[in-house]
Amino acid sequence: MHHAIPISWYLIVSAILFTLGTIGVLVRRNPLTIFMSIELMLNAVNLSFITFSSYLNSVDGQMFVFIVLTVAAAEVVVGLAIIVSIFRTRRNINVDEMNVLRG
Amino acid sequence: MIAGVPIPNFIEFVVLAVASIASGLGVILFKSAIHSALSLILALLFVALFYLLLGAMFIAVVQVLIYAGAIMVLFLFVVTMLASENTGDVIEPDRKPWQRGIAATLGFILIGALSYLLFTGTAINSAAITTAASGNGLAQHVADPKLGNTQAFGLALFHGFSFPFEITSLLIIVALLGAMVLGRRSLSRDERH
Repeated sequence: MHHAIPISWYLIVSAILFTLGTIGVLVRRNPLTIFMSIELMLNAVNLSFITFSSYLNSVDGQMFVFIVLTVAAAEVVVGLAIIVSIFRTRRNINVDEMNVLRG
Repeated sequence: MIAGVPIPNFIEFVVLAVASIASGLGVILFKSAIHSALSLILALLFVALFYLLLGAMFIAVVQVLIYAGAIMVLFLFVVTMLASENTGDVIEPDRKPWQRGIAATLGFILIGALSYLLFTGTAINSAAITTAASGNGLAQHVADPKLGNTQAFGLALFHGFSFPFEITSLLIIVALLGAMVLGRRSLSRDERH
């Protein structure tokens, strides 16, 4: 496959998306938005996996992205279940007030 | 030609890059969680278009189906569920204002370090990449141009990566059980007996 665009451009886009996700995790206080920022970071890493896979002409990177997708789905399911169960017991979901593991 | 790139490729890359970064900004800037979720769906779709641009058709379709479809629907369910029980919306007051400045500084340091490494590091030079691609060691499952992308993907998945694939099924079972245990309404004392 012929590539017209230098590989570093894709990697810069991936780095910017990853940084946006990091800032979101640091700044936002709502655990749902923090989860979405984590998804953004996972996608940035997936983008660089696919970039390297395409430029190295190998399918191994796509395999990693496939596994990362599955792990992300499992993580979202368990994480949202935790958030819902915290909301049931505490009636609010501010991350600054979640400082005990006890229910 | 702009920096050695033909004009159509340049335009499609820049449009996709600006759109995906703008929707990524929307995820962290929108105040209400539902707007963040919709912006994240947009960002995921633009990343899927990047995958198409890079020739990974199967992963692009999976991205739209699983990520923008299934996972984000789950997100939106939980956002609407918590928002309706809460006081209208899940907006939290910003209690520590210095966190924002420190996060911005750390973000600038991160993007600066990443860009510095990308432009000066030895990992990203095209000569090294072509030798790695043509050499014997690194590229184990080479995408045969005669095969389609999905066929090459399936062959690699069920030949070289069958063990991680099986482990993934175990992971999904465990996550399913965990979600059922966590999401179960705990019985009150007289219901239990």
